[in-house]
Amino acid sequence: MIATIAAATILGARGHPVTVEVHVSKGLPGFTMLGLPDESCREARDRVRAAVMSSGFAWPDRKITVNLAPPHYRKVGSGLDVAIAVGVLVALEVIAPDAVERLAFAGELGLDGSIRRVPGVAPMVGVRPDVDWVVPAESVAEARVAGRALVRPVDRLDRLVEALNGVAAWPEFDRIASVVAEPDVPDLADVKGQPLARLGLEVAAAGGHHLLFVGPPGAGKTMLARRLPGLLPDLDRAHALQTTMVHSAAGVVLPPGGLVTRPPFRAPHHTSSVGSLVGGGSHQMRPGEISLSHGGILFLDEMGQFAPKVLDGLREALESGEIMVGRVEQVRVAMPAQFQLVGATNPCPCGGGGAPSECECDERGRTRYLGRLSGPLLDRFDLRIAVQRPDVDELLGGRPGESTADVAARVLAARTRAIERNGTLNAALDDRGLNEFAPLQPDADTMIRTEIERGRLTGRGYHRVRRVARTLADLAGHHERPIGVEHIAGALSMRARVGASAVAA
Amino acid sequence: MSASPDHVTDRSGAVAVLAGLPSMGPRRLRLVLMHHEPGDALDRLASGRPLHQMVQRCGDPATLAALRDQARSASVDRARTACERHGVRVLLHGDDLYPEPLRLDPQAPAALFAVGDLDALAARRAGIVGTRNATAAGIATAHELGHDLAELGVSVVSGLARGIDGAAHRGARAADGPGRAVAVVANGADVAYPKVHRDLWSWVCADGLLLSEWPPGVTPDPWKFPLRNRILAALCEVLVVVESRERGGSLITARHAIDRDVEVMVVPGSPRSRASEGTNQLLVDGATPVTSVADVAGMLGLDHRRAGRSPYDGRPPLTEAETAALEACGPEPATLGMVSDLVGQPLIDVALTLARLEQQGRLVESGGWFEPAGSRLEPG
Repeated sequence: MIATIAAATILGARGHPVTVEVHVSKGLPGFTMLGLPDESCREARDRVRAAVMSSGFAWPDRKITVNLAPPHYRKVGSGLDVAIAVGVLVALEVIAPDAVERLAFAGELGLDGSIRRVPGVAPMVGVRPDVDWVVPAESVAEARVAGRALVRPVDRLDRLVEALNGVAAWPEFDRIASVVAEPDVPDLADVKGQPLARLGLEVAAAGGHHLLFVGPPGAGKTMLARRLPGLLPDLDRAHALQTTMVHSAAGVVLPPGGLVTRPPFRAPHHTSSVGSLVGGGSHQMRPGEISLSHGGILFLDEMGQFAPKVLDGLREALESGEIMVGRVEQVRVAMPAQFQLVGATNPCPCGGGGAPSECECDERGRTRYLGRLSGPLLDRFDLRIAVQRPDVDELLGGRPGESTADVAARVLAARTRAIERNGTLNAALDDRGLNEFAPLQPDADTMIRTEIERGRLTGRGYHRVRRVARTLADLAGHHERPIGVEHIAGALSMRARVGASAVAA
Repeated sequence: MSASPDHVTDRSGAVAVLAGLPSMGPRRLRLVLMHHEPGDALDRLASGRPLHQMVQRCGDPATLAALRDQARSASVDRARTACERHGVRVLLHGDDLYPEPLRLDPQAPAALFAVGDLDALAARRAGIVGTRNATAAGIATAHELGHDLAELGVSVVSGLARGIDGAAHRGARAADGPGRAVAVVANGADVAYPKVHRDLWSWVCADGLLLSEWPPGVTPDPWKFPLRNRILAALCEVLVVVESRERGGSLITARHAIDRDVEVMVVPGSPRSRASEGTNQLLVDGATPVTSVADVAGMLGLDHRRAGRSPYDGRPPLTEAETAALEACGPEPATLGMVSDLVGQPLIDVALTLARLEQQGRLVESGGWFEPAGSRLEPG
């Protein structure tokens, strides 16, 4: 007797349809799995057997062959358990074949017959919208994100079989959700002093510019960076879906509603490997941190301490907005990776105590330290903000700054204006776009010209300054006018020199 | 006028070899040359014959064995060619050309390697030294001192290090006056160190005088810098320390100067600036403060009146906002945020003011900090 069950696995951030074929025949009793299951997937044999038996069904003394089609890539993980169990039961004629014809199954089996959540339910459901899905009860919110398919939550194998046989109704679960509440985004009002850094965050949020903080330990670089997601507006529908898919595939806990609506904030440690940042690793091609920060912020603290290979891995994503991960024997997998990069670095190995003459390091040490950040990567940062330790007065008695809500309102207005005018955020303006949408007033032009003539601004730097100045002007409500000199000056003060700090006589 | 560099004799070549032996060192070299002719000493070392008993006694057998090994593989011809190629003259203690100020010095180097014009030492000589991690104002002060002293015909003696040293010689280079540059360095004259001062180095070699107690081929090791400072101090009539931290090479130079009765003068700095900790301590210890170039010139007994001309300044006069911002940046450096707080103006407006001041050259920005760019000396 043969059964065919629809299911799916995860490759990268996408679901891939899998058809589970089960054949039960006479022969030496045994359980064989074909179709490139990896170790974790092959273990399904024992889980399925135990779950079927503890759900009150007899396990046959026959030869059972399971094939996972298509067979050309590895199937990873325990998400096929339920499909295999149902396939076996159909093949044993416990369940009628036509009861499973329009259904697909996802979920892991416990030895007691319980059905548990697995990562990646959202993209699995998304790849087969033509059938109804049976998913673990815990994953129902996640599964419904994908849209069109009808989703049936179940929590135990015996109840699933009863529902399929029409003996009992499909189980109902009222408001099943993960208990984890949405994490509180820290408020900008907690930041005392630091006016330039605060403005930098506002500009980064309004223009989508990548942002680098340069400052000594204790200056509050991390504290500031964590407040950036709060300034960004909600994700649009398309990004929310993509981000949810990636998070689901990686097994990251999703918000109670299932859909990731707020920009994610990811802060991998500087010892992270290339694989963990870029993605890949196992046969499943797990999404890396850069994909998990899709639509949100990727924060790299102590950026100079990351291995150069890891940082180079970022560059492809920064250019194309997605990352291709390939393996020799497998298809190359594309994962989305549109993120806003926020970096933080000390100005020099000693961390710098403050004013320029206080540093312990000689020029060479300083240059070498920042030289670890490659030029092409540094070029990506429109904003490079020098932050200093706030002094005691500011820390203790400083007046509270503006709150996140106030700044976020200005940011939203500026973003809306920029998109109405450019069609993109200001960070994405290229040479042509700048000439069209960011013309300069005459004295602004003079100031920027002087900087170039003094050899302090390169061609690329020129474009960066104009982009930032455009955002500053948008924030000030001058979105219709050419850029004024005050916004050029503001933009110039947001590009701390990194690397050789030339002390000219 | 002195002899031209092609007078590098076999004797000089032997000195260059001896001075360049890694296990020799200035003190042993002095001892060796006190008791032997250079060629003789080298022969004895290479052939294994004993040196004078004073030399034999001073140093353990292992060092002497190492010296012999090194002497065996050295070549007088090679050393001589290296000297000739880089225009290096070899001056032995006791030679006619050996610099006058060093002759009676208790720690005078037994041999000096010189590139350039020895007449630079015939003029009045003022040393300008200081920290490598200088503030912008310190750099400007050193530059002004170097410039104005050179205009007065004073030879500017310094060490070609980064920071203050380099700025003093750059100032001298910018002057039209007859003053020359004298540099005392801690490595062979064949390689410019530090590399950023390559241009200054070759300018000093061409237009001034570069002195070293090390022959060409010797690398700059950390322990050689304090040794170099004794020669620098001995060559000065007045030593000006512009900026120094609580411990620094320029304080060693000052110590050597005090030992030699050379007047030590110091540019006062803010008590809160780290770059002035060492110099302010020197003031406490009794050094003479420098508040204008006239102080240094007066110490040298020079007529420093310069007809009261104030340098032409083509910059537009300061606005009220600019004056306030400028005051907020000194004497201690300040960040944009701090200035904005101090003057009570919005960030963007202050950014504009500071950018204007910086473009006019009144402020210097580094790593987000703004400091006044002007020299700390009073005009004129």
